[in-house]
Amino acid sequence: MFYLYLLIALALLVAAIFLSPLRAKVWVSFAAIAAAALAVAVPSIATLAGGDAIQVASSIRSVVDTGALAIDSLSAIFLLIIGVAGIATALYSRGYLAHYLNKKSSAHISLHYTALVLLVVSMMLVVMADGGFLFLFAWELMTIASFILILFDAERPEVLRAALAYLVMMHVGFIFLVAGFVGAEAATGSASFSALGRCFAEGTNTGIFILFLLGFGMKAGLFPMHVWLPEAHPAAPSHVSAIMSGVMIKTGVYGVIRVVSQMTAVEQIHTAGVVILTAGIVTGLWGVILAAVQNDVKRLLAYSSIENVGVIFIGLGIATLSMAAGHTGVAMLAMCGALMHTINHSLFKSLLFFGAGNIYSQMHTTLLDRFGGVAKYMPVTAILFLLATVAICALPPMNGFVSEFLIYLGMLDSVRDGVNTLYAAGGILALALIGGIAVLAFTKLYGTLFLGSPRDHHVAESEEVDSLRIAAMGIPAAGMIMIGLFPQYAIRIVERTVCALTDAEAIFIDYYAASALSRLSLTALLILIVITLLYVIKSRAQGSRTVEKGPTWGCGFTSPNIRMQYTGESFAEGLESIATSLTQNTVEGRAVGKSEIFPSTHNYNVRHKDKIDRLLAEWWVELLRIINKRIMKLRTGKINHYILFALLFLVAIFVLSLLNLI
Amino acid sequence: MGILLNTILMIVVAIAIPGVINRTRALLAGRKGLPFMQHVRNVSLLLRKGTVYSTTTTALFRIAPAVYLGAAIVAMLMIPVADLYPLISFEGDVICFAYTLALARVAIILAAMDTGSSFEGMGAAREALYGALIEPALMIGFATLAMFCGYTSFADIFESEQSLNLHLTIVMVLTAYLFVKITFVESGRVPVDDPRTHLELTMIHEVMCLDYSGIDMGMIHIAGWIKTACFSMIAANAVVATGCFHWWLAVPLAILLTGVSVGVVESTQARNKLVRNTTFIVTISALAALIFFIGYLLQLDINI
Repeated sequence: MFYLYLLIALALLVAAIFLSPLRAKVWVSFAAIAAAALAVAVPSIATLAGGDAIQVASSIRSVVDTGALAIDSLSAIFLLIIGVAGIATALYSRGYLAHYLNKKSSAHISLHYTALVLLVVSMMLVVMADGGFLFLFAWELMTIASFILILFDAERPEVLRAALAYLVMMHVGFIFLVAGFVGAEAATGSASFSALGRCFAEGTNTGIFILFLLGFGMKAGLFPMHVWLPEAHPAAPSHVSAIMSGVMIKTGVYGVIRVVSQMTAVEQIHTAGVVILTAGIVTGLWGVILAAVQNDVKRLLAYSSIENVGVIFIGLGIATLSMAAGHTGVAMLAMCGALMHTINHSLFKSLLFFGAGNIYSQMHTTLLDRFGGVAKYMPVTAILFLLATVAICALPPMNGFVSEFLIYLGMLDSVRDGVNTLYAAGGILALALIGGIAVLAFTKLYGTLFLGSPRDHHVAESEEVDSLRIAAMGIPAAGMIMIGLFPQYAIRIVERTVCALTDAEAIFIDYYAASALSRLSLTALLILIVITLLYVIKSRAQGSRTVEKGPTWGCGFTSPNIRMQYTGESFAEGLESIATSLTQNTVEGRAVGKSEIFPSTHNYNVRHKDKIDRLLAEWWVELLRIINKRIMKLRTGKINHYILFALLFLVAIFVLSLLNLI
Repeated sequence: MGILLNTILMIVVAIAIPGVINRTRALLAGRKGLPFMQHVRNVSLLLRKGTVYSTTTTALFRIAPAVYLGAAIVAMLMIPVADLYPLISFEGDVICFAYTLALARVAIILAAMDTGSSFEGMGAAREALYGALIEPALMIGFATLAMFCGYTSFADIFESEQSLNLHLTIVMVLTAYLFVKITFVESGRVPVDDPRTHLELTMIHEVMCLDYSGIDMGMIHIAGWIKTACFSMIAANAVVATGCFHWWLAVPLAILLTGVSVGVVESTQARNKLVRNTTFIVTISALAALIFFIGYLLQLDINI
């Protein structure tokens, strides 16, 4: 019955979106998303506030029993994230798609909005599903909906390529998940998350854990399965990147937490912890270094998402290791940090992608070195983007710092108590380096985009976007500020979940985490107060003195020009020279040689491609092409041949069934 | 009372270190040199001057010095002077300290980018890279302290152990050495950066502030003193924690440790070639990891 209702709801939605007038389609989809968000928000909040897990449907039967649909404290957090990001995305999409409305057909726009609603609903189903088949169904729905969303600008060949690569990689991940559930079913006779617990208890089923990690890691962008992210995000419209990067990849994180939470054997949890921590460290470092050298805004943001998934996994890994060691205090802190970072990243990454969308819709490019001085033309976008930059660099007083603080504190406590010392030290080293390079990546991004002088005349023709888009960006911004300034209250969102996952007492979280966070909140406020005071004093002092304006000091150089500004490329040059072995550079044109005293016109274009991309993508693409060629020989175009194939197929089935093989 | 004294002593250290550096250099060079308080006079002159702002810049450029100084001040309020208590102290304030200083760095980097000058962009890029590479050294240094002292707050770390203990002494002295090294990088001194160089192409910190003048420049100088004071006080605390844990010992030690070592290095060494700087800084991080590992082995009571 559930699937029937789902089908009816889907049909109604499609009808409503396709039949409504062009400009109203966004509001229909917004209403649908808001309704879904509200519907799940109420039980989610109830669960997080201390209620029991809520069974939405105890058993959903179609042909077979596909399992239950329930909201427990873990799903509740993700449901809230999905709801908030979904609403912001739908609001934002109106302005972003406005100038496509008369370029694309009405059906095209409708399809896009339908897919957007479908993506939000399917993500909600993913985090609520307990049964394996229902989960896989929702997971597949999510993949297809996001595929359609990426495909919005399908006229551009690179979009088509990126979308197809995404579809293929997601299905490779899907196979791992199917294999994982089949393994669970083989061991316990039931394919569901709750059955996984029995499966893990029966023996060392680390293989099944690895299968799930690979499947979920593909979605989350774990190294080396991250290669789809930097391709898909630049191709997708910005609001789609926002929801995909902010929320959809977190379903992978959700999956890993869900699987690990089913484990009971200590050694197994320990192994899982080591694997997750290592994956997190490698992913985080790889992501952030590649992010710092990118020269495309959206590719940079995509790599930074990979980095943040790495940070979340570092937190998760430490939490898992501490659970294995029975070190509840650290497990609690690190798990709080990982979950808070999941929430925080969904907020600031959506905001960053919205900001990238704003400038793309004005300047129609995402090449970083074409910008400069955008802050003067789009001041509100610049301020909101700055908030997100501070947050993603994990600096006080914004929210990114809160979650990294918790993860750090967990690791320092782990070192202090001498439990998992070397693992925690490795985590600290990695997280510190990630944080440092993230600062480099995002000062480069912000400095090149918004500050300095315009490098391209398009910048000077741009103007601030409509207020609805700004309002949509205000939703995550408000959340970021609240979490950043009052983390001791924000942590209550994850309190119940952390208690359920790590066996910590709620009072313990209040006593330890919240007390440190309330001091942190005071410090954050103090920083703001001191800065404001200093600024006021400075401005007052300047009031009575001469304040002049002049050109930037050219260091005695008589004719400096805008083209001489430091570009994003040159900003990251130092890091690039260290990290050459990670990237594969494609260079068009020629750089100015050292011997050229009077250089003529040069055209120099460099792209820093991921080495893993080539390693991973090239051989199997080649393989696929060869296999395809063979299969194409069967496609003769003659009806009689096809009938023969069908006959051969039937005969084969007949023979196999005679031999009792099927 | 203790908190007030702590803050005042930190300010004293911050003001005294540049003076000691200048006197040391003058002494070693056989010059008469600047008066001890010359740097304070220079800055008070700057604070009374008018300002010139570039037309390229936005409001961010004007706010950045306040952020830079404000963050440095808040970071300073977390550092204890030996047995005194700092104003801000809680579990994990070491992390907060590191990231508050990172906020200062981001503010000044963005301000440099805001001028649209190629020279300032160059300085910003270098500062961002070196800042990124020194971060692991800082955090793993704190981890070493946490491991040995059993706390994650500065005040408790240095308070915890005062009995003479060979293992503790080894680790503490090594950590102090590490933090002096970090001071060199963080305050932009030879061999990483030379604050007195005359060529913009080779500068790091100074070139970022080329467009600042008057009161803004003064604030940036003060913030620089405070940052240096914070790191040298951590180093001094680590040394005094091995035996005589009193503020009257920590204060002169902090001033002399950094003041003399920076003065001596600046008088005897040339600045690194810029390409060597990355190696130099990564070496410090590697050193930090090594010290952590030595501490770990000592903790396990392995005889070496």
